[in-house]
Amino acid sequence: MSAEMVSTRIGFRDGLVALAEKRDDIVFVSTDSLKVVKGEPFLQRWPDRVIEVGIAEANGVALSAGLASAGLRPYLCTYAGFLTMRACEQMRTFVAYPRMKVRFVGVNAGVFGGNREGVSHQFIEDIGILRSIPGFTILCPADGDQAKQAVLASVDIEGPVYIRIGSGREERVFPDGTPFEIGKIRVMKEYGSDVALFCHGFVTNRVLKAAEELSRAGIGATVVEAHTIKPLDVEGVSAVLARCGCAVSVEDHNIFGGLGSAIAEVIAESQPAVLARLGLQDRYGESGYSDQLLDKYGMSVQAIAEAARAVISKKR
Amino acid sequence: MIDKERIRLLEERARQTRRDIVEMVYRTGDGHPSPSMSAADIITTLYFDLLNIDPARPDWEGRDRFVLSKGHACPALYSALARKGYFPPEELLTLRFMDSHLQGHPYAPKTLGLDATTGSLGNGVSVGLGMALAARIKKLDYRVYVVTGDGELGEGLIWEAAMCAGHQKASNLTVFVDNNNYQSGGTVGDVTGVYPIEDKWRSFGWNTLSIDGHDFSQILEATENAKSVTDRPTAIVAKTVKGKGVSFMIGDNSWHKRVYTAEEYAQAMRELGGEQ
Repeated sequence: MSAEMVSTRIGFRDGLVALAEKRDDIVFVSTDSLKVVKGEPFLQRWPDRVIEVGIAEANGVALSAGLASAGLRPYLCTYAGFLTMRACEQMRTFVAYPRMKVRFVGVNAGVFGGNREGVSHQFIEDIGILRSIPGFTILCPADGDQAKQAVLASVDIEGPVYIRIGSGREERVFPDGTPFEIGKIRVMKEYGSDVALFCHGFVTNRVLKAAEELSRAGIGATVVEAHTIKPLDVEGVSAVLARCGCAVSVEDHNIFGGLGSAIAEVIAESQPAVLARLGLQDRYGESGYSDQLLDKYGMSVQAIAEAARAVISKKR
Repeated sequence: MIDKERIRLLEERARQTRRDIVEMVYRTGDGHPSPSMSAADIITTLYFDLLNIDPARPDWEGRDRFVLSKGHACPALYSALARKGYFPPEELLTLRFMDSHLQGHPYAPKTLGLDATTGSLGNGVSVGLGMALAARIKKLDYRVYVVTGDGELGEGLIWEAAMCAGHQKASNLTVFVDNNNYQSGGTVGDVTGVYPIEDKWRSFGWNTLSIDGHDFSQILEATENAKSVTDRPTAIVAKTVKGKGVSFMIGDNSWHKRVYTAEEYAQAMRELGGEQ
């Protein structure tokens, strides 16, 4: 059976349309990125609430700070790395520091998101960059409808929010309408407590498959989706670690700075456990098909299952 | 013809602004005195003549906005806010000390009356443009004024914002370029090569004016001109003197960031008509 695809880009767009139907403070800020997320329906209905700045991310971010300071709620959507790297300082000093309610939506996250575009368009550093900036809420929805739910849930959060989305070719993981509860982990499957599998984003489908495979081999995994990387649900993560005693983190991001690092911090500070971090092993990807890239760079179903076995064997 | 009394009041206010700058830098032992002096007349004119603001309602959504893109000149701005009544002038002497609401560079959430967080150069035109476009969306008629340095024109983001504002025909946005001809490392012509400044703004679709940034009549007339132009933003390139008002600061770029000795303080205050 082939998996159903639900685009995170369209999910974002639909979420924004739903918000704009109810509120008059929603503004779509585009850095020539409106078509990337098929934003034409928004533009047609609310042409006065679209600000097109052209290919100028730093201007888009600083300008959004000005919009937010005047009481509007700008959503700036463009490529994850052009935002978090080129406009990083504007995100920090002009948005996060004065606690502006600007919402950023980063597309093409991970090697999965950037796929055939290659490294210039595959962003594996965004979470690490933003985790180090005080005041950001970081949301990583797993599929298209979850992207929509994350947009709906993001609107009134204090300070800035970053929502990480992909290429538009993401496999459905959750039924439509599943609420996105910010700041809480979600235990998706509990085959047992031999090992915890933490994940977020477009690898969640793979982690579920690995857990199923492990279950068939008599190994009970707990699958935890941690869609809110910041603020992390430390209590929830600790409870799972306490039950399982070992864990694997899986994310389409560099192993430094992302969810794996966040889990390692919880382990070091409050709940000792053995951890393996899967993701880009401090290296860049390359051009290719999304699923092939995830397989090659250590996030295949088989690699996840093997890592689970390895951490279980290290448990005392 | 601009009323003489209006000018006289501004001259008096501007001397007060400059005395406050000297006091702040001398008493607190830190800050950027001469870049504050060059912008002092423009900032004073904005706060005591032009801006439609109300210190009793600092969050009034219909108020005019001011963005000090060259945030290091904030002693001039803090003086204007205090003298306008947003907070007691004695608090000016807490500048850059821990627990003060007056940060080394402007931080809007802490300082009453302050519209924008700045300090990192090159960002103020974008922030001001966002405020200006918000007025359009919210159907408000406020205006936004930005003061940039000339050295910070080296930042590419200034020109991203210039292109965008011209394209958006953001006529409620006015940018003053405080063209004091110096940046930290020397003259802007030598260090950055920013000239000709006016042609650059004009080519991005701005109404562009050149004035003497210490002549109150010219500052007032240029802003009147800006208000009359309804299809373009306005850039006012204000020729200024770094350190203006204190003789020994003029022509000596070490005053970009330097603290007065007791003797220098006394002389500066004498020249500015204040007590010592």
